[in-house]
Amino acid sequence: MQRNFCGRTRREFLWQTGGGFGAAALAGMLGADGFFPKTASASSSPVPAIAPKAKSVIFLFMYGGPSHIDTFDYKPGMVGMDNKTIAVDTFGRGGKKNEGRIVEPRWKFKQYGECGKWVSDLFPHVGGCVDDIAFLHSMTAESPIHGSAMLMMNSGKLLSGSPAMGSWVHYGLGTGNKDLPAFVVMLDPSGGPISGAKNWSSGYMPAEHQGCVFRHEGAPILDLARPEGVSREMQRDTLDTLAKINGRHLTAHGGDDTLAARIASYELAFKMQMSAPEAVELAQESQATLDAYGVGQKPTHHFGTQCLLARRLVERDVRFIQVYSGGAHNDANWDAHGDLVKNHTKHAAETDQPIAALLKDLKQRGLLDETLVVWGGEFGRQPTAEYAEGTGRDHNAYGFTMWMAGGGIKGGVSVGTTDEIGSRAVDRPLTVKEMHATVLTQLGLDPNHLSYFYNGLDQKLVGVEGAEPIREVIA
Amino acid sequence: MLFGMKVASIRLSPAFLLLSASLCVAAQADDAVSYQREVAPILTKRCYACHGPDQAESSLALDSFANATAETDSGEPAILPGDADGSELIRRIASDEEWERMPPEGEPLTADEIAILRKWIDSGAKYEKHWAFEPLQDVEPPAVEDAAWARNDIDRFVLAKLEAKGLAPAPEADRRTLARRLYYDLIGLPPTPAEVEAFVRDDRPDAYERLVDALLASPHHGEKWARHWLDVVRYGETNSFERDGAKPNAWKYRDYVIQSLNDDKPYDQFIREQLAGDELESPTKDSIIATGYYRLGIWDDEPADKLQAKYDEIDNLVSTTSQGFLGLTVGCARCHDHKIDPIPQTDYYGMVALFADVKPYGVRGDEETNSQWDLSPPDLKQRRDGLLGQRRAMLEETETLEQQAIARMSGRDQRRTETSKREQVLKEKLAEHQTEAERSRYLDLQNQIADLNRQLDALPAADLALALASCEPHPETTHVMLRGNPHVPGDEVTPRFPEIFEEAEPTIGHAPDHARSAGRRRVLADWIASPENRLTGRVIANRVWQHHFGRGIVRSANNFGQLGTPPTHPELLDWLAGWLVEHEWRLKPLHRLIVTSSAYRMSSAPNAAAAAIDPANDLFWRFDLRRLTAEEVRDSALAVSGELKLLVGGPSVYPKLSDEVLHTQSVPGLGWDTTPTAAEAAKRRSVYIHIKRSLIPPELANFDFPETDNSCEARFNTVQAAQALSLMHGGFLQEQAQALATRAVAEGPADRQGRVKYALRLVLQREPDAEMVSDSLQLIDRYQTGHGLSADAAFDQFCLMAMNLSEFVYLD
Repeated sequence: MQRNFCGRTRREFLWQTGGGFGAAALAGMLGADGFFPKTASASSSPVPAIAPKAKSVIFLFMYGGPSHIDTFDYKPGMVGMDNKTIAVDTFGRGGKKNEGRIVEPRWKFKQYGECGKWVSDLFPHVGGCVDDIAFLHSMTAESPIHGSAMLMMNSGKLLSGSPAMGSWVHYGLGTGNKDLPAFVVMLDPSGGPISGAKNWSSGYMPAEHQGCVFRHEGAPILDLARPEGVSREMQRDTLDTLAKINGRHLTAHGGDDTLAARIASYELAFKMQMSAPEAVELAQESQATLDAYGVGQKPTHHFGTQCLLARRLVERDVRFIQVYSGGAHNDANWDAHGDLVKNHTKHAAETDQPIAALLKDLKQRGLLDETLVVWGGEFGRQPTAEYAEGTGRDHNAYGFTMWMAGGGIKGGVSVGTTDEIGSRAVDRPLTVKEMHATVLTQLGLDPNHLSYFYNGLDQKLVGVEGAEPIREVIA
Repeated sequence: MLFGMKVASIRLSPAFLLLSASLCVAAQADDAVSYQREVAPILTKRCYACHGPDQAESSLALDSFANATAETDSGEPAILPGDADGSELIRRIASDEEWERMPPEGEPLTADEIAILRKWIDSGAKYEKHWAFEPLQDVEPPAVEDAAWARNDIDRFVLAKLEAKGLAPAPEADRRTLARRLYYDLIGLPPTPAEVEAFVRDDRPDAYERLVDALLASPHHGEKWARHWLDVVRYGETNSFERDGAKPNAWKYRDYVIQSLNDDKPYDQFIREQLAGDELESPTKDSIIATGYYRLGIWDDEPADKLQAKYDEIDNLVSTTSQGFLGLTVGCARCHDHKIDPIPQTDYYGMVALFADVKPYGVRGDEETNSQWDLSPPDLKQRRDGLLGQRRAMLEETETLEQQAIARMSGRDQRRTETSKREQVLKEKLAEHQTEAERSRYLDLQNQIADLNRQLDALPAADLALALASCEPHPETTHVMLRGNPHVPGDEVTPRFPEIFEEAEPTIGHAPDHARSAGRRRVLADWIASPENRLTGRVIANRVWQHHFGRGIVRSANNFGQLGTPPTHPELLDWLAGWLVEHEWRLKPLHRLIVTSSAYRMSSAPNAAAAAIDPANDLFWRFDLRRLTAEEVRDSALAVSGELKLLVGGPSVYPKLSDEVLHTQSVPGLGWDTTPTAAEAAKRRSVYIHIKRSLIPPELANFDFPETDNSCEARFNTVQAAQALSLMHGGFLQEQAQALATRAVAEGPADRQGRVKYALRLVLQREPDAEMVSDSLQLIDRYQTGHGLSADAAFDQFCLMAMNLSEFVYLD
């Protein structure tokens, strides 16, 4: 990448001159006022090297690690093996083991769609969408421990300090909207995931690339709500006076760009107070839509609302939306160490219907073609029991399932396999970096060229060694 | 990252850039092309990836004269010195055919870049060694035309360059501006209106120097400048990862930095203490605390790959140390030779070997042995260590007994023992799953542990410091790790300094049998702190300059290598570095020298003609306006509201965080003191805020507080709507605005206009102009008549508006 703007790439330059959150709006306002020529708007970022298929990404993050063999990776050969002790290499939080007691998948599988995909009874609604889904059955991760595996799935590195995928997308494509964040994160009501904000950090990139936590109750964005007793009209008055005085300060400084951007940023903040609540205002949705997502019903209300919001944000050109299923610790997320049935029943029941509703809703509105939906956790789970008794499964980074739909992804296909008990990927093992490369490619970003100069190196989401997209799933 | 760079360049509108590009070419028409400043950046950034020291595709490497003029696979050399037209290099970069144009990726070279390479080849294609890898040059300040302007030698260097371009320095800023500038730059706080007034009225000829000296002597000087150093050493008080657990006593390292700067400790001593404070002839309490430097990084308490994690920890030390002290990105050579700079992989592992006695931060369950140093008197320490050792052994045995019994419990109970219910399960069910012998041993242990606890409690509290508490005196041999993979060791490497320094390999003897450390870090520290080191002096002098002028002479303050930005004033940088060494490495005299120069006292006023010639202000024709740092914004709000508690040092504080922010944690509030008492106690300078890596307070994060996990050379300087929201709606600013209102009412005149003026004076440290006062009064009127606010509430709102003024958060 060429760097001529004082040693930075053109994109870095744009971001630092206010090209982040609401950059188009900032640049637009400045342009209108004659401070910036129009060329400085974020939309003039270099044309992506690849023709983009997707405009937005919705990453449904199943935090804790759902069990692949109980959901989408059908293992009929395991039926009847329950409680048998077999030789198998596993590596989880309990360390490395070479034998274990089989826990047979606890749900029945059925075939769905024209492709005849086998899906467990945990996901009957998603089962109805399999012809739009590409399953990645041979995912592998570099760590079977939540902390580092979460960072890997979100930022491509086992260590904290690097930008999240959403930050990379924002950096690479700029923001697509005028008055909303480009990278939105929605959390589970039980709390954030472990490592909290590290999971959506912009790392070594400027802070405007970091994920913005969005809530559907109260003000959606931190500090968006006016304090009690301050009406919109009153704030308008304040801002007018502020702009008047700051305008004189600007003139005295020869129309300095940062000071001009600062004045514009107050106007943007004012506009966002309308646009962000509007984005989360579900009153405009029909009852049928609300019902489809399970809004207002137990146990789907929360995740369903977030899926619906994800669609509304996609409609408003938000680039990257991450929705967490599961938060906090233990069984508040998919981390089924104890009672597998209880744990997965709960989390699947919260998410199955909303996920299917999202896919169908996007499709019906013609948005699925340009919206890439990704489903998965930081790893999968072992075929064997963690303890002497019970059904709990430990973590499994040797093989697990993720899936993608929309955004130029082939439907009704499955790539890779795990062995007959799902203990590890055998055919076409896939890495997290390849998954990341696929996401970037679908957005029109060349994963091996999207780079950011830091610490003396051209850093990439897919690492200095690079990674290729998973061609088999690209339509 | 590049604070200075951003400040300087953020002002460039693209129109200016175009203008400057064409002017540059015009200006160069008569000058010789500079290899260092013009040619090398093109070659390194656009060519070296395939044709450089690391790779020579088609047998072509452009990293030296010999290689560039040698025969390549095509049979022809790439460069014919003196003949650009006949050189294959020029033909290929200028080609219109995409299939043969170089470089194959990215944008083609610009016409200007091609012109530079042409001229360079025509004039003989002479290579020079990269400036930063040459020994310090002994430079004399140049002669200048306007000798009267120059107050000291710095000015001669700055002015000579300005005069060469036909530029004149901006006039001196007014006294009020200078006072504000000096206060912020030297102590990071705004002056009070009275302090400004006193300076403006001080008509002694050395009033300015007196103010500088007073500020440098202030205990708040260290608080301001420590934060710059903390950015460089990736200061954090937690470990990141799943638990993001606290690093106890990290704050003592922070206080060590503050105190060292306040004491004007020579920089070479500051280096030795941090890198080898435990290996000095007579270590002091301070020098031990200084080794906390090694313990500030992230640490995975549950690594998937222990060996990888161990090397990741050392990598963090190599990267931080080489960038922080030497301005070199040695970390780039972890997996292979550096592609651009002459740093082979053996240099990287040579540095790894120098750190080979540094043990990991800890193991899960024991973060004390390696990282908490008991500074208590020796006899007391011995006593406590003995008791702790006994207790540790007994706790381990207890745990083993418990796990044996737990393995016999039901799966459900086993699971419960991993939760907060563990104690309960043990209480209810342990006995029934133990043999008689196990039971009796277990109870015996419990009694003994209780007894040990009583003895420990009776001793005075330990005086613990985050430090290199335990080292490996006889480390294993270090190897090059192929492709950076710690599981694939290659050749052996001995401790050594990077090749570019052309130093003999250090001789480090085998440590005595009873040594506590390997003695290697001391060798490293002495070498870095040596006056002969080519980079140490330049790097620190550049950092001092950077935080006075908003950008370094080298803008990439952590990277003086070929991918860094070339110095705008190389001679000045060498002169400053030499001056610093001559003045015993003391930073305060250097600060004084810089801020008493005429260059520093220039006004920030715009000048369109100068901006047209030098839009990035590379030549310092004026002082660059800057936004206050995150800490300065918060500290200023507390200062003008009268809420700031100016206590120096002590354990870190926990400002109030909103529920929304706490709910991003997996356990809201974990690791953060959320009590009202804590929030009240947190009304202190921001340098004292607890740095929890996964929970940076938005007041800091929104204003470009650096990423905490790696060394930060210079902060970003962004403008974001989130900043406006934080200042308009954030709980912190709301509170401070109210406190400001209360203060103005209590201290100011009784009439409304008088109060408005009083508040504005506090915020802006100047007499507000009539327009501002009248705008403010009208706003207050509208609040009351149009929006139904009481007089008090209207004044509160006005104070909030005042704290949102650009003038409040920007410094001229």
